[in-house]
Amino acid sequence: MAFLFEKASFLEKISRLAQGRNVAYTGGYMNAIKRIRYQFAGVVLLALVSSLIAYPKIVFFAPPIERFFEQAKINLGLDLQGGIHLEYAADTSDVDEAKQDEALQAAVDVIERRVNAFGVGEPVVQLSRSGDENRIIVELPGIKDIEEAKKLIKETPFLEFRELAGPEAQAEIDTYNAQSKEAATKILDNVLGGSDFAELAMVWSQDPGSKENGGALGFAKKGAYVPEFDAVAFGPDIASGAVHPTLVETTFGFHILKKLEERGEGEEREVSIAHILFPKYSLDDAPQLKYKTTGLTGKNLTEVFVDYQSQGIGSPQIALRFDEEGTKLFADITSRNVGKPVAIFLDGQVVSQPTVQAEIVNGQAVITSNFTLAEANAEVKRFNEGALPVPITLVSQQSIDASLGKSALDQSIRAGIIGLMAVSVFMLLFYRFLGLIAVLALLLYSAMLLALFKLSVFTPFPITLTLSGIAGFILSIGIAVDANVLIFERTREELSFGKTMRKALQEGFRRAWPSIRDGHLSTLITTVILMGMGTGFVKGFALILSLGVLLSLFTAVVLVRIMVNFLFADWMERHPWILVTPKKIDTPKD
Amino acid sequence: MQLNIIQKRKYTYAFSILVTGAAIACIILYGLRLGIDFKGGTLMEVRFAETAVPTADIVREKLSAIELQSLLVQPTAERGMLLRYLASDETTNDQVLAVMEDIDPTVEQLRVDFIGASVSNQMKRQAFTGTFLALLGIALYIAWAFRRVAYPVTSWEYGAGAIIALAHDIIITVGIFSVLGHFYGIEVGVPFIAALLTILGYSVNDTIVVYDRVRENLLRARTGTDFEVIVNRSLNETLVRSVNTSLTVIIVLIAVVILGGESVRWFAVALLVGVGFGTYSSIFIASALLVTRFKMKFPDALVKK
Repeated sequence: MAFLFEKASFLEKISRLAQGRNVAYTGGYMNAIKRIRYQFAGVVLLALVSSLIAYPKIVFFAPPIERFFEQAKINLGLDLQGGIHLEYAADTSDVDEAKQDEALQAAVDVIERRVNAFGVGEPVVQLSRSGDENRIIVELPGIKDIEEAKKLIKETPFLEFRELAGPEAQAEIDTYNAQSKEAATKILDNVLGGSDFAELAMVWSQDPGSKENGGALGFAKKGAYVPEFDAVAFGPDIASGAVHPTLVETTFGFHILKKLEERGEGEEREVSIAHILFPKYSLDDAPQLKYKTTGLTGKNLTEVFVDYQSQGIGSPQIALRFDEEGTKLFADITSRNVGKPVAIFLDGQVVSQPTVQAEIVNGQAVITSNFTLAEANAEVKRFNEGALPVPITLVSQQSIDASLGKSALDQSIRAGIIGLMAVSVFMLLFYRFLGLIAVLALLLYSAMLLALFKLSVFTPFPITLTLSGIAGFILSIGIAVDANVLIFERTREELSFGKTMRKALQEGFRRAWPSIRDGHLSTLITTVILMGMGTGFVKGFALILSLGVLLSLFTAVVLVRIMVNFLFADWMERHPWILVTPKKIDTPKD
Repeated sequence: MQLNIIQKRKYTYAFSILVTGAAIACIILYGLRLGIDFKGGTLMEVRFAETAVPTADIVREKLSAIELQSLLVQPTAERGMLLRYLASDETTNDQVLAVMEDIDPTVEQLRVDFIGASVSNQMKRQAFTGTFLALLGIALYIAWAFRRVAYPVTSWEYGAGAIIALAHDIIITVGIFSVLGHFYGIEVGVPFIAALLTILGYSVNDTIVVYDRVRENLLRARTGTDFEVIVNRSLNETLVRSVNTSLTVIIVLIAVVILGGESVRWFAVALLVGVGFGTYSSIFIASALLVTRFKMKFPDALVKK
């Protein structure tokens, strides 16, 4: 109840302030003047702070401040920055009731790991329940290749057991390395023949770090590179600007090496090297080649758990249990590979390469490694993901190319600015000086709302601005000045009854208030209900419109009131036509 | 200067009956073209390389192998093509994309909105619930706004007037979109419903303000005044206010319609039409209804105390 009362008293205060009670011209004159000045100073401060947050470029003359405030960014929706929103239905019908949540969470974790590997900015993966359907929602902002991303997510987690491949794997690696060397030799010939080193580096080099810079690695001291590379780079035979006449072979591959320049003496000597890399691999770099498939996969696992019995004796073990088919396969594999490693792959990555101690025929295995308990638990979880995949089907997708999102953003910003300007012109023409104050309040409203979007990012409730949200914002600009229209119309009416400007303004604020309150209330009723309606489009629109309607109640009524109080002067009484267009009204005849 | 608005009500009635009737006829005749969020399906926008832009016919022909249901192919500006079709699963989309890549290997997929059946059903449910709640909310709001009974017109009569005016706005807006759907392929989805409900919430106020003023003037009126005159004066007193508040909203909506881009254009058009007719009906219809009702009860049309 205390809460309710507090709310009521806050509303009461707002309504008193809005209606012009408890403000100027009542109570002690000096006190009133002081209060008006404080309030106006508050408005100015609010204007400064919110414009600074909303549009840091206004302090372009003070770059550190500009940079500080530019940290706060509006959280743009996928439809504005480009990206993909995917909704999958997860089929848990094959999963025990009790284990459903676990299985779903496991699926979410796998997808999360996969999209993280994709390297897009701030992906979102979350569970949502819709009726009796479990959904997994994936949002990937700023992604380029939509199909690739979908493929990556859709693959069910895949667990398999592999054994060492024969000599053909080594042969394949050797062939690859030979081809790499051949290509390197050709390019070296081109370089020595006078072709542009940097251009070739950009096309051919497989070193992603230096490729874009024409192969340049920057200045480095002796010892910075692998020994073979270091020896040539810092050796006596190579002059600045020269290309080393032969390929330099390191563990990374074959390098074409060019010395750009050098500086310093002795300990301080530094050289700047550019290189073109043609990589070579060993079997250990390519587990997919090193190990071949055995036909034993996660679907043959019945159970995976941490073997706690071994606790205290040594490090915890991971116990595996196979089904019938798996038991047979596993027996074959282990009998073939005693003393050799068997690799366990999850999603194409090696998670474990235990060495087989003896043939295992009972369909049970343990993986021993120097696991901590936490590591063992994590491993088990990963196995279970492979063993307990929840089939997912795509039920909804919204994807927008980044360029399309950008142009939509630009268009809607332009529409907003033009709309704001048009409304401002309308208010100025129709309501003159009072219109000017309303326009100032409108600008302040826009700045405050933008600042609110930016600041919300630092709270637990970040506001995401979507295209429909911008539409709501623009609509709210039109609604925001409605309050001012009501106040000014009432003021004109009171003036036409022959009241003084001071009295007419007071009456205008007081009598317009109930209408303003009701109008905002009825719009809020619908927008709040709309927020509960499913789609992102409607939610975004309704949320921003609700915020706008609430905030504009403050700016258009309270702030305008404070500004009018502060700016009020005697000339207004003498020249009311500057303040507002006069109104002629017939005297009532009844 | 006073405008004789109420006195000319037979013209505005005729106009409204005509337009509403036409709207209802269009709705019955054409229906609404439902968007993918209600029907399920896919909306895909692709962009071809400059040298490889096919005509809509070629695209349609190439796609005929997949047997897509309700396929719509629409060329867009900038080498683009907009495809809409019913699809229940993802594989269809992959097939369509494969066909596009067949036409032009470098085709870019600009936008894909795919909504499966379970999601569209859920959206339909939510839209129904949302609409029901919003209508209930507005009805309660109207009941609350007219809680103080004012003789000689009862509170439910005020409420009925407001609701008839709202229904008028909504029917006309829906009618216009059925025409747009039939002739220009404009689809309506959840955003359209949201626009209609927003119109309700916004427009109901203009009517309520005029009614409030009528009530105020009735309390001050002397015995024997013509009810019609009082309503007309109330209307004139609130006219500038009604027109100006709507104008500011109409101004920004026009900016969105013209400049805001394809994705929000038709949403803004729905709002614009609704707010426009909402303003019209609260000025020309809602108050006139009060007078008509009053004359039914008291044929001499004089306010008695």
